[in-house]
Amino acid sequence: MNDTFEDRLLAELKAEMAAREARPHASGRRSLRTRMLTGTGVVAAAAAAAVALPLVIGGQAPAYALTQHADGSISLQINEFRDPDQVERDLARLGVQADISYLPLGKRCADGRAPFVAGDRTSLTKEELESQDPAVQARVRRVTENLASSKAIQPKNGITIRPKFIRPGQIVMIEVVENARKPTTEHPGVAFQFSGRLTDGPVKPCRVIDDPSAFDIGTATPPPGS
Amino acid sequence: MRREQTGPAGFARDPDEFEAFYRRHVDAVTRFLARRVDDPHTVADLTAEVFLAVLDSAHTYRPDRGSEIAWLYGVARNTVLAQRRRTARELRATSRIAGRRLLDADDIARLEERIDAESPARLALEAMADLPDGERALLELVAVDGLSPAEAAAALGIRQGTARVRLHRARRQVQRFPGVVEMIGGTK
Repeated sequence: MNDTFEDRLLAELKAEMAAREARPHASGRRSLRTRMLTGTGVVAAAAAAAVALPLVIGGQAPAYALTQHADGSISLQINEFRDPDQVERDLARLGVQADISYLPLGKRCADGRAPFVAGDRTSLTKEELESQDPAVQARVRRVTENLASSKAIQPKNGITIRPKFIRPGQIVMIEVVENARKPTTEHPGVAFQFSGRLTDGPVKPCRVIDDPSAFDIGTATPPPGS
Repeated sequence: MRREQTGPAGFARDPDEFEAFYRRHVDAVTRFLARRVDDPHTVADLTAEVFLAVLDSAHTYRPDRGSEIAWLYGVARNTVLAQRRRTARELRATSRIAGRRLLDADDIARLEERIDAESPARLALEAMADLPDGERALLELVAVDGLSPAEAAAALGIRQGTARVRLHRARRQVQRFPGVVEMIGGTK
C-alpha cells in the first residue's frame, strides 16, 4: 500500500504516534501531567469536601513558619507559598533545592518545564489512570504512592517534604494554585491545589496557561485519614 | 473537560483522524514548501518536520480562531524559519523522521515538477525579501499562499486589524516594483 512518499511518511507518522502512546514518559507532554495530577486530585477533593478543615476556612494566617519535624521532614502551610521566593530560600537553608510557583486557581504552568526523574516512571496507561473501576483505582494509587516524587512530596500538614527521599542534585518542583475566594459551607469550592514532583533539572520558567478544570470540585470524598 | 479545553486536537491523538487531516493537507504543505525550497530532498525532510510539529503542537489549534489550513501554514512557516536557522545536516541529525529517506525516484521526479511549477511564487517571495518582516510574512501568506487576510492573521497570531494595516502597507511598497506585482498576481 505504501506507494508514494506521502503514504510512507503517513506510516512513519502513525508509528511515531503509537510510540508516543507507548512511552508517555519520554518528555513533558500532556499524559505526564495527568499522571502527576493523580495526587493533586486527591488534595483538591479533600479541600473541597472537608470544608471544616481549619486550613480551608480558618481566617487567620498563622505567622510564617516552616516546620521541621524530628524525622527530618519539613511541612509548609499553604499560605506560606504566597511568597515563593522566601519559601525557596528557607528550604535552601534546610538543604532542599526547590522551585516554587504560586498561581491563582484556574491557572497552571504549561507542561514540559523540566525532565522527569527515573523513579517516577510507571507502566500505567492513560486508560488505567482515568478508570472509574475501584480495583484499578486502588492499583493506580498503590503505584503512584511508590513514585519517587510521591515519597518526597506529600499532601500532609499542608505540604510535607521528606528530604531523605530526595537524591543529591534533585530539585523539588512545586506548583500551588490557591482560590482567591475562600470556599465556605454555603459556597463549596476548591480551596487550593498543588502538584509537586522531583526533577533533575534544569527547570524552565513557568509559562502560565489557563486550567479551566481547576474549579471542578467533582463528587469525590476525602481519602481515608485526611 | 480538560482535554477539550487545553488538550491536543483530535487529529493528534486518534490515528484515523490524523490520517484524514494528513490526507486533506499534505499536498498543500508540500506546495507551500516547494515555494520556499528548491530541492526535493529538503521538501521531503521539511514535510516530515511539519507533520511532526503538528503532533507536538496540535493543542495550540483553536477551531474558533481560524481554519485548519491557516493554522497549518503557521506551523509550516515556523518550521521553514527554524530550518533556515539550522544547517541541513543539523536538521537531519535532530529529526525523528528523515523525510528524504522515504523518497523513491518517482517521488523525486514528482516533487521536482512541483518545485518547477512553484517557481514564479519563489521569485515573488525573493522579490519581497526587502520588506519588513511583519509585512512580508502577511503578504507571503495572502498573495503567494492564497490565504484570506483573516486566515493569515490567524496563522501569524496577530489581530485582524493589525493584519489589514500591514497588508496595505506591504502592497503599497511592492507597487514600486512592477514586476513583483505581476508575479504575485499570477500565483494567487
